[in-house]
Amino acid sequence: MFGLQRGTRPQGVRISGQTRRRTVDSFPIDFDRSHALAIEKLDLLILKTLGLGPLHGYGIGQRIEQMSGGVFKLTLGALYPALQRLERSGLVTAEWSVSDNNRRARYYTLTAAGRRRLTVQQKAWERTAAAMLRVLKSQ
Amino acid sequence: MRALWRRVLELVWTRRLDRESAEELAHHFDTLVDEKRRAGLDEEDARRHARRELGSVDHAREQLAESRSGFQLEQLRREALYAIRVLRRAPGITLLSVATMGAGIGVSTILFALVSSILLRPLPYEDPEQLVRIFDTNPQLGVERAGAASGNIDDWRRRSSRFDGIAGFYSTGRTLSSDTDAEVVITAQVSRDFFPILGVAPLLGRAFSEEETRRAQYNNAAAPIGPDPVAVMSYPLWQRRFGADPGIVGRTVTLERRPFRIVGVMPERFAMPDARVLLWIPWDLSVDRPRDQHYLIAIGRLKNGVSIAEGEEDLAGVARELGREYPASNAGWSVRLSSLHAETVGDTARVLWVLFAAVGLVLLVACANVALLSLMRGLDRSDETSVRLALGASSARLLREFLIESSLLAAAGGLVGGVLAFVGLRALPLLTTELPRLDEVALDQRAVWFIAAVTVLAAIVSGVPPAWRRTRAIPIAGIASGSLRTTSPRHALRDAIVVVQVALSVVLLAGSGLLVRSFLQLRAADSGFDPRGVLVLPIFLDTQAYGTGARVRSYYATLFDRLAALPGVVAVGGATSIPTGPLGPAGERPVWPEGVSDQTARLPASIRMVTPGYFPSLGLGIADGRAFDDRDRPDAPAVVMIGETLARRLWPGQRAVGRRLMIDYSTAGTYSSEIVGVVKDVRFRGPRSEPLAELYIPHAQRSYLILNVTLRSTQDPRMLIPAVRQVLKEIDPHKPAHGVYPLEDLVGATIARDRQAMLTLVLFAAAAVCLAVMSVYGVLSQRVRERAREIGIRMAMGADRSRVVGWVIGLGLRMIVAGLVVGLGFAWAFTGTLAGLLFGVTPTDGATIAAVIALLLTVGVIASLIPSWRATRIDPAVILRRG
Repeated sequence: MFGLQRGTRPQGVRISGQTRRRTVDSFPIDFDRSHALAIEKLDLLILKTLGLGPLHGYGIGQRIEQMSGGVFKLTLGALYPALQRLERSGLVTAEWSVSDNNRRARYYTLTAAGRRRLTVQQKAWERTAAAMLRVLKSQ
Repeated sequence: MRALWRRVLELVWTRRLDRESAEELAHHFDTLVDEKRRAGLDEEDARRHARRELGSVDHAREQLAESRSGFQLEQLRREALYAIRVLRRAPGITLLSVATMGAGIGVSTILFALVSSILLRPLPYEDPEQLVRIFDTNPQLGVERAGAASGNIDDWRRRSSRFDGIAGFYSTGRTLSSDTDAEVVITAQVSRDFFPILGVAPLLGRAFSEEETRRAQYNNAAAPIGPDPVAVMSYPLWQRRFGADPGIVGRTVTLERRPFRIVGVMPERFAMPDARVLLWIPWDLSVDRPRDQHYLIAIGRLKNGVSIAEGEEDLAGVARELGREYPASNAGWSVRLSSLHAETVGDTARVLWVLFAAVGLVLLVACANVALLSLMRGLDRSDETSVRLALGASSARLLREFLIESSLLAAAGGLVGGVLAFVGLRALPLLTTELPRLDEVALDQRAVWFIAAVTVLAAIVSGVPPAWRRTRAIPIAGIASGSLRTTSPRHALRDAIVVVQVALSVVLLAGSGLLVRSFLQLRAADSGFDPRGVLVLPIFLDTQAYGTGARVRSYYATLFDRLAALPGVVAVGGATSIPTGPLGPAGERPVWPEGVSDQTARLPASIRMVTPGYFPSLGLGIADGRAFDDRDRPDAPAVVMIGETLARRLWPGQRAVGRRLMIDYSTAGTYSSEIVGVVKDVRFRGPRSEPLAELYIPHAQRSYLILNVTLRSTQDPRMLIPAVRQVLKEIDPHKPAHGVYPLEDLVGATIARDRQAMLTLVLFAAAAVCLAVMSVYGVLSQRVRERAREIGIRMAMGADRSRVVGWVIGLGLRMIVAGLVVGLGFAWAFTGTLAGLLFGVTPTDGATIAAVIALLLTVGVIASLIPSWRATRIDPAVILRRG
């Protein structure tokens, strides 16, 4: 990657980190908190992941990476502030428990409010994405 | 709500949350490392890869911590510490700011506590807003407000429909004695509704029963004659004379040489009619009583929901009925109601509001001073600010830092102010006794909120202007200006603040100037008597020992002889009531020229029985005829003297001496007397009052038990007090005086409130002017410092010193004059509210305004002198070398 992760403050998600050349693919999506759209996307990704069942932070990161086919890779600096934010607004709750590798881990669970938010956000995003695609694919 | 709760938890659990997030992040990181190792990487590579993918653990942890509440608080703490360092760098300015602010907040809190306790807090009675004072009024006779007549009270309470009760009472001195000593205490004899309508439960025992009230009868000398008399005791008397004896109820005390059974003790703060009253005794007003002696204080409790106007209408209806039934005494008389609160507070309200407004202005001036001080400190620090702005500090952050600075100053000021107010309110009773409800004044919760509010306000007022100014520092210009000094924009705000300060001081100065002039007029006013060298001894004889006129006369004759023999005494006399004296009966009786039958010719005259020595001892002038003398014995023909006002009203333009006057003594009959002299007018209740229609009757022919004995001496009358007390004790050990005091003190008391208002406002104005002058001085000094280079060059080029001095003084005067113009405009609006407090001065008094202008110009020049002197001492060589 082009220096971002080499510095002390790598932030956000890198898309398809295999290549080190500056390509459209590798341009990082900025999940900085000042970026409203990015925050919305990240929150939706996390809610969706938790919609399948309780998970700890590592599991969330892994699953997002898997489900996106390796496109979204979350740094700690993006994932955990997002989780803190969701927890603060009551969309998820967290509990300490023991993970598969026999270590204490914090498991996040979707609350009822989180589930409602997920439904609403998902619909909204599907419409937006479909519309975006229609516009971009049109000749 | 939940989010808020979480925020609070975050605050409390900062450490724990931090530990947890560290653990969580470590788990994430380690799990990935394990994964990589399983994929065949060695430990080191696994870690490197993980770090590359996940970013720094520490950074993520910082990010989480930063967004927690505690972190923000921590940041605030750091900024506050920084501000404290900044403030400590200039300890002088900081101390001055805190002291200025503290004094301002402290004094305004004291006034707030007074306003709050005296004016805003309800009276300490049950449902106090339903309580009213009731006055008799007779527009035909020109009587605005008179006391109630004892004969009417019972009819009022039985016939009115919108009152829960109406009571009348009357205070007089009575002798409380034991085997060993005797003292005169003020007692109030109160009618049956008195305690029920006030609704204050006694601390011990109970109030009077129906039966006790019914048998409480008095003779016409106000002496109790009913069987088994009872009394309710006040808290102070119980404490002082009876050692707070819990078994006091049921015991008897000796009052007027008769045993009175104590049935109750009132709580500490119960002070009705006022705090001087130490005993209450019942009074049955249902038997036939005179309806034309208007000397009672009447209070009533309106039924719930009844307004004062409705109550007045109701009672006026009863008064009309009584007027038809008893035309001789009641025709033309009606009633006027006023809230008990307004009557208790009296015209203190206006004084307090004026002073409260004034202290607000002082506080503003003080805040402006602090703003100016930190503004100047800010200018000295403008280089630092410029650097920080240039380095990218957000101006919001700088603004916050400066506001933290001013908040710290204000908080310290608020603390100092709180302490000051606490101490001040404690000391207040030592400084003044003229305020009503003084015992209720305290630094209560409301006052604490006031301090908090004022502190916040002070922080804003003193912090925003300099903060705003400083964040507008020009980054590059500031740094580059080792030599370059920008001028104009930074001066505008500074000068404006000074002008505002001067203007506010002008308002205060004009107001206090008016009060000073008014007070001087009051003190110089001729009230018709000369209080200097006069000693007053109110004597209350009792009917038990002095049942006949002869005995009364012989007591007073002996007393006068013995007093006249004291060294330095030139005249001794006495009157039932004396000018500005608080004690003694002050009745009014209808009088008219003999031979005139027209009812409308009757005028109410205020009557006093006087001895011949009264006139010389008070220095009263005889306008016509003669004063009383030894010829006017009990068996001699009845004679009277009248005041100029009464003479003018009865016989306008004609001589009164030699004519005969009819006096209606109500139940005691109607008498005709010859007028032997006319007494010059006396302003009986102090210089503000109008002369009364006075009628003087020789004490020898109408021997009252009560006399205010007056004696004039050529030396300080205070020196005579021990000797006078000794004389009284020797004549009758059971008849001490109720206090012995110089008449000058009594006269002083009538203008004491004026004195206090004046002194307070002068103090405020002086403080404001001092602050304003300091500002002028400070700003000029800084101007000279800033322009030192220019001045140096000019002087090197041969500029005259006097021109430099003129420049500086001109700058100072320009600010002063601008402030004067604005301030006089405000003063013109503000001093109008003083109108009710002034005596012999109009609010637009030219002399006062001229004095204000002269004073401010003088102090303006004085404030400019040191900076201008400094300007002339600038050494061009030094300045030029500095480059």
